[in-house]
Amino acid sequence: MSETTAQTEIRSPTDPESPPFLQIRNITKRFGAFVAVDNVSLDIHQGELFCLLGGSGSGKSTLLRMLSGFETPSSGQILIAGKDQAGVPPYKRDTNMMFQSYALFPHMTVEKNIAYGLKREGVPRAEIATRVTDMLSLVKLNGFAARKPNQLSGGQRQRVALARSLIKRPKLLLLDEPLGALDKKLREETQFELIKIQETLGVTFVVVTHDQEEAMTLSTRMGVMADGKLVQVGAPHEIYEYPRSRFVAEFIGSVNIFEGRIEQDGEDHAVIGSPDAGMGIYLSHGITGTLGQEVAVAVRPEKIRIGKSPMEDLPNTTQGTVDEVAYMGNLSVFHVRLETGKIISVSQSNLVRSPEDAITWGDRVTLGWDGAASVVVPS
Amino acid sequence: MTPPPLLAQGLQGFLNGARRIGLTGRGLVIAIPLVWLIVFFLIPFLVVGKLSLSEAAIALPPYSPLMEWIDGVLSIHLNFNNFLFLADDSLYLNAYVESAKIAAVSTFFTLLIAYPMAYMIARAPDHRRHLLLMLVVLPFWTSFLLRVYAWIGFLKGNGVINTLLIWLGITQEPLRMLQTDFAVYIGIVYTYLPFMILPLYATLVKLDKDYLEASADLGARPAMTFLTVTLPLSLPGVIAGCMLVFIPAVGEYVIPALLGGPDTLMIGRVLWNEFFANRDWPVASAVAIVMLVVLLVPIMVLRRAQAAEEGATP
Repeated sequence: MSETTAQTEIRSPTDPESPPFLQIRNITKRFGAFVAVDNVSLDIHQGELFCLLGGSGSGKSTLLRMLSGFETPSSGQILIAGKDQAGVPPYKRDTNMMFQSYALFPHMTVEKNIAYGLKREGVPRAEIATRVTDMLSLVKLNGFAARKPNQLSGGQRQRVALARSLIKRPKLLLLDEPLGALDKKLREETQFELIKIQETLGVTFVVVTHDQEEAMTLSTRMGVMADGKLVQVGAPHEIYEYPRSRFVAEFIGSVNIFEGRIEQDGEDHAVIGSPDAGMGIYLSHGITGTLGQEVAVAVRPEKIRIGKSPMEDLPNTTQGTVDEVAYMGNLSVFHVRLETGKIISVSQSNLVRSPEDAITWGDRVTLGWDGAASVVVPS
Repeated sequence: MTPPPLLAQGLQGFLNGARRIGLTGRGLVIAIPLVWLIVFFLIPFLVVGKLSLSEAAIALPPYSPLMEWIDGVLSIHLNFNNFLFLADDSLYLNAYVESAKIAAVSTFFTLLIAYPMAYMIARAPDHRRHLLLMLVVLPFWTSFLLRVYAWIGFLKGNGVINTLLIWLGITQEPLRMLQTDFAVYIGIVYTYLPFMILPLYATLVKLDKDYLEASADLGARPAMTFLTVTLPLSLPGVIAGCMLVFIPAVGEYVIPALLGGPDTLMIGRVLWNEFFANRDWPVASAVAIVMLVVLLVPIMVLRRAQAAEEGATP
């Protein structure tokens, strides 16, 4: 990749004109009778930071291991830069991997660990030295070259692992839970560092993670995996705001789900009759589906307004009693019990330090949300 | 379940007694093996040491006392002639060198055979691994002597191997294998193989598969991964296994006696001859002491190396 393309628009590099850098075509992996990865197809473009998000056993790590060559697909095809990877052993692939355990060689110093890949390539000694030094400063580990891995903190080890996987300038870097072993604070800092490094080098990253916040922060695009299938692919905000299935809606963030049937479906509006909510839920857009079809309406807690006065400006309003209040500092989460018995979760930013009419346990409140706030997903 | 009152009382009494002389539970745990080592190792060692400094005599026991009390005069005789004699007669030096050579060569071949076996066992699936480990330990269930005798049956002139070779037409005449150094090597390698496999297995089974994958991912072919990652990381097992084989092999008596020829000169045999054929206990003791010192030096060097290694990577 040339310098100019690396500089421009790395965060939204998806150029539909150029052929995808990584093409995964109908990949299936079976372990005996168990299908770990089920007919997954995915295109990833040069310079993307793509996150594979899923729970444990969703097949995300198996998919990553097939990209690096440690597992052989049962069927399907993987192309990297247009080249079929079938039968190419890991040590001949242009990919590098950062392991969840970091897998730093315990008997080698930081310097030797990082230099390992270059030595295997037969790069001249002097060049190895300069490249290792450059890499050490990129990950801010100057002065740690002579340490052994067990003399480093978790965060430092993570950066050595990253440096070691980047030293060969791979076109595709695979990261298996790269921040999984770090504590929360360090993880948040490191996320941005990782993005910065990825932008600087212009390397295509494929990151496997089970942490949805991490996936949302890091990725230019992400794919949600469940039971070996790729359920939805899109930019983080697409996945969050327009989940295409109930699974995705519930998996990413928290959500209130109302079961119901389609009562009206017009060009510019629709109504879902929901016994759960005890009302017809109004949507300000048409939906695809037949009248009477069972669907679920998903509304995110932060999209619901909570207050003690009626909300005439909102098409959807209902009343309830506050069951629980969870104060989390930046926001408060209320669990409101509707007359139907359904419990709705609502979050509110704490804009005022100590509001006088603060909502508290047992209060009668009105909940309201806009016609565009909810998403209809198949039930 | 509560222990019977009498036993509990006795135990309590014992613990109280131990506490009175300054021994706590922790101290006791250390004291028991310490007492064991003093009684069964240090004291016999001192006895042998004393013997090596005494003079051979035609008496019962066949040596002169170290100290004598005659007419109010205490005379201590320290006889270093035994050691000087060892240095004088090249037989002993040859025996030491030959023993060390046989032990070293056998250790090398044991390692060569044991490493792939240990590696395979460590990489085998769980259920099969236990079975394979069982098979490694299984020979211990029959007498060592019996197993060495079985090798005689294999190696002798009209034994299994020669019969097979002649039947296959590979040789016309039976090969002379028994009573050669070759037979001694076979015997030692065979006997000590489990002692090499087990420590190797213990380090190899702990070797994280991620290291191997990381190495492959960084462009190392399997052979290179073995040389740069697997082998260095299994070095503690290699050292432990080699010590477990080399040390007893140097002093091995039974195997050279049964399988070796008259010209197989090993220190264990020399020791036996001095003790039982010559009845020269002082010289025999001196041989034993020198052997111990000769063995102690490499062990201490290795330990120091290991300690330094561990010190660098705590």
